[in-house]
Amino acid sequence: MLRVHEFSIAEGLAAQVLANAPAGAHVRDVEIRIGALRGLEPEALLMCWDSVTFGTPLAGATLQIDQRPWSIRCSQCGREWTSPVPFVSCQCGNATPVPSGGDELDLVAISIDEEET
Amino acid sequence: MSEQIRTVRLPVMRRVLEANDDIAAATRVELARRHIFAIDLMGAPGSGKTALLEATLRALAGRRRAAVLVGDLATRRDGDRLARYCDRVVQISTGEGCHLEAAQVRDALAQLDLDGVDILFIENVGNLICPVGFDLGQAAKVGLFSLTEGDDKAAKHPYFVTAADLLLLNKIDLAPHLSFDRAGFETDVRLLNPSVPILDISATTGEGFDSWLAWLDNSAAAAST
Repeated sequence: MLRVHEFSIAEGLAAQVLANAPAGAHVRDVEIRIGALRGLEPEALLMCWDSVTFGTPLAGATLQIDQRPWSIRCSQCGREWTSPVPFVSCQCGNATPVPSGGDELDLVAISIDEEET
Repeated sequence: MSEQIRTVRLPVMRRVLEANDDIAAATRVELARRHIFAIDLMGAPGSGKTALLEATLRALAGRRRAAVLVGDLATRRDGDRLARYCDRVVQISTGEGCHLEAAQVRDALAQLDLDGVDILFIENVGNLICPVGFDLGQAAKVGLFSLTEGDDKAAKHPYFVTAADLLLLNKIDLAPHLSFDRAGFETDVRLLNPSVPILDISATTGEGFDSWLAWLDNSAAAAST
């Protein structure tokens, strides 16, 4: 099977999570933010995450994906809105509003279990 | 005494691909120190990446010293083709990988004699999606489209277009035989990347090569100072 790039990203993410979690901590949630430009498939990334973390201390950690939408600006009427796809028409009739998206791919936060006695 | 588990959220805010980016940054510093202008050449399978490099290496012979890294899934065919025109070629077999990563480029560069090299071409794996997000340490990303792929490929691959420092439109000699909407293609590109140069070329006939070679010469000259 061809390795999709989501697999490489899941591997990088697992390494980054381990580097930022306190030693021995049980990681419960992993929050990431993905810019619209990245074009990542959340379902593919979730599948790769499960595969990469299987049998490791990160197994079972939930991946929470904040996928940012495209920002669209109509150069004719000035309207601005967000969209899951970059090429859309404006309600004013303009067929070529300008799309812009970020290329961020960030580990935002992790949640760990702490035992209290 | 009872034990309770509470969940604590720790903000991190670091790039997921930080390890790759760090290797790429080190490569970029090393290439700049050696005054080598490095290009990450990206394009779809069959868009003519290897044919472009064959024709470019022929044209550069005697003017610029080039080195080539070529990524491919399985075969050595591209490396063998390019070795006819360049004595510094390293084939990177990515196995099942759909893109090159910075560590592969770093390791391949360690196998090359870079003395006197002006331009490094890195031919990425044929793919319009996966290679874009992985920094290799290049000075410029060159995106190669071709007329036979259809005029909608820029719109369908926004990151490829926004990340490119130069776009080449190959197989322009086939225009009379195809219904490629050149103006529509450019409209899509401009909405995503207003400033990127677009050069129409043919790796087969050499059409447009004056502009492509001038861009290379100017970039290599800028890197050499």
